[in-house]
Amino acid sequence: MSSPASHEVGPVSDRPGQSKTGPTVRTCLLAIALLLCVHPVTAQPAPAKVAHAPATATLIPLSENWRLDGDIPVHALLISLQGLANRDEPRVYLEYPKSWQWEIVRPLIGFLEKRHGVKFDRLKLDDAEAALALYAKYAKGVVVWDKQVRSSLIVAFTIAGVEDLVVVTEDQLALAAAHGLRPVVDLRGRFTGQPDHVIYQWAYDNYWARCSRDYYVVMGGHAGAEMQPGVADFGIRQRAFFTDLSANPKHPEELALLKKILSQQHPASIVLGWHSYGKDTEGQHTTLVGNYGLIMEGLHNLPNVSFTSQIPLTPGFKFTNNHHLAPDAKLTAEKKVYVCAVATDAMGIGAWTKPGRGKIPYTWQVLMNWAWLNPPALQFFYEDKSPNDYFIGGLSGPGYMYPKAIPPDKFAALAAIGRPLMQQLDLRILEIMDYSEGNRHVGNTDLPKELVDRYYAQYPDALGFINGYGTARTFDLRDGKPFLSYDYYLSIERPVEEAAADLEELIQLNPTRPYFLLMHVRESNSVEKVAAILGRLSEAVEVVPLDVFLKLAASAKTYRTHYQQPTDAIDRNP
Amino acid sequence: MRLLRPLTLFLLLASTVLAASPLAGRWRLDVARSTALDGWTAWDLVIGVDGSRVTLQHDMQWRATKRTATNTVDTAAPSVVPDFFRVEQRHMALYPAKGGTTAVRAAWLDAGRTLRVEADTPIEISQGQALMRIYEEFRLIEGDGALVLIELHSTRPSPLVYRFTRVTETSK
Repeated sequence: MSSPASHEVGPVSDRPGQSKTGPTVRTCLLAIALLLCVHPVTAQPAPAKVAHAPATATLIPLSENWRLDGDIPVHALLISLQGLANRDEPRVYLEYPKSWQWEIVRPLIGFLEKRHGVKFDRLKLDDAEAALALYAKYAKGVVVWDKQVRSSLIVAFTIAGVEDLVVVTEDQLALAAAHGLRPVVDLRGRFTGQPDHVIYQWAYDNYWARCSRDYYVVMGGHAGAEMQPGVADFGIRQRAFFTDLSANPKHPEELALLKKILSQQHPASIVLGWHSYGKDTEGQHTTLVGNYGLIMEGLHNLPNVSFTSQIPLTPGFKFTNNHHLAPDAKLTAEKKVYVCAVATDAMGIGAWTKPGRGKIPYTWQVLMNWAWLNPPALQFFYEDKSPNDYFIGGLSGPGYMYPKAIPPDKFAALAAIGRPLMQQLDLRILEIMDYSEGNRHVGNTDLPKELVDRYYAQYPDALGFINGYGTARTFDLRDGKPFLSYDYYLSIERPVEEAAADLEELIQLNPTRPYFLLMHVRESNSVEKVAAILGRLSEAVEVVPLDVFLKLAASAKTYRTHYQQPTDAIDRNP
Repeated sequence: MRLLRPLTLFLLLASTVLAASPLAGRWRLDVARSTALDGWTAWDLVIGVDGSRVTLQHDMQWRATKRTATNTVDTAAPSVVPDFFRVEQRHMALYPAKGGTTAVRAAWLDAGRTLRVEADTPIEISQGQALMRIYEEFRLIEGDGALVLIELHSTRPSPLVYRFTRVTETSK
């Protein structure tokens, strides 16, 4: 349990065994007590932790094939079984293929062995037979999805969590039966020819009332013939409602049902997964989630959270950052170009394990909710950091959110969750991103003054703020705390020579020295590539970590104060 | 009169050539043979010629995001263009200055097979505002089936080179 001294965010509800119709009276009282004792506002619905990591666990390797007409049936079976087996204790860890987007899934195995002493018993590739022999006892039967209707699998994930069932196809019925699992729900033929809003309405009518109000899963991402439901084990464990409903106004029936669902979730609760690549845009979906003051934890293929969410930090471990100066330190910038490279998506799905890390000062955005949702993963990064790696919080608060989309009356509650997380994770700078009115191609990604005011007020301990993802134009400096936007966005495909020419052009066009060039490095760009780009520049530049960068920028305001203007273009990310 | 006659003849010839300008039409970016384009995955350039006025319409696309912008230039006289469109602008914080106007000069070269455009455009930067000089040549190459756009900036150490192929009814 959390304590004020540790600045941890306390578990409130959604533990295994809670009422399926909602929080029990005891849970509510506990929640109220925690709210009063730990934080004055809503806290996160954190999963309960075991006292320590298990001595042994089962490791099941999964194949590269994630097609519905390929290995998805066996993967869905294993992921659902994992969610059930890990309900009260972490027992099953799935070893996803080497190409998996969340690349830390494999290094984390070594970390769990080394730092937590977990001994893994490895099964054969996709070995459902052996897995069922070990863990069928945690299921009450099976739910059969319809191989002809993709969305029936997503509905089956909901039913699996609510009814404690393993997800199977008709081809796997005999296998399940051999382990004592009989069909409880059969979706074959039920949805034939129906559109998704009708399918999910049926699921809503039959299961929604028994699902979690703390977690909703948007089981999107890959669409069509492929599905990568890596986060489904955790959703099943938490008895979440699953859909891939669209936030696109082009799909009014789906959008209406999605709004109905989100409007009934608990304040500041979690939306897991990712929008469907086949239906709507990231901007549309994240904006809608923000409209309800909810928190997006965005990765549909984030694996093994049913396992890792229960593992506490190792005894004595404390999150410590590589600060380069005291919070009240003052620096004086010289008349030269300062560059700071910030990687946002790169912890988990990008560059951490790629060549060059440690070569130059580098700043990494931390997904703050992993402090309670995925502690071993965050401990792995903190312990693996080099002296040149510096961490900051994001994105826009606790989770992925667009501040302009969040109603003002819900903003403070989210900030109240973000502040203690930043303190717990030893983070002093917050990164903000807002694509509710544009993206890096059209519209605007800036903040109005009123929202900048709110950030300064709600995060008074921050050394400063940075804004954007692509470039943006919001700049400020108050009380020695800069609010800067990215001047450059390095895409994955950008060749080294063109990127160097881009930076040369920015340096040429911004003639005053010091010039503060804040650079966002997208996902899987390696540190080695960034170092190569910077090494080609004609004018000498100094590469610094973000805390130093902001302190220098506080000493010489060569950037002009600017906020979003009423006449700025707006594009709703169609 | 002696001077006016050849000038009239030249203008008549020029307008005849340009009325059927081989540059006119829709051109599609050949991504593999061009300088890396950031921020957009597809680019159609639609060139229209009406007397001395040339419209350079840019149809840009990135996933579901689309944008169309047109620069209209005049080969007979310098012009002032509001909201001058540059292709490379959003991965770098180099925005068109709001309310700014761009001085543009344009001319036909190589017997109407090359269009030269020179622009002085105000750019919004994080330090305030700056001016970028742009030099562009739209050249027909490989017969009339391909077009190359070479773009130089006063502030960039290397040229941007984009190759396009003509979009025909059969290639749409």
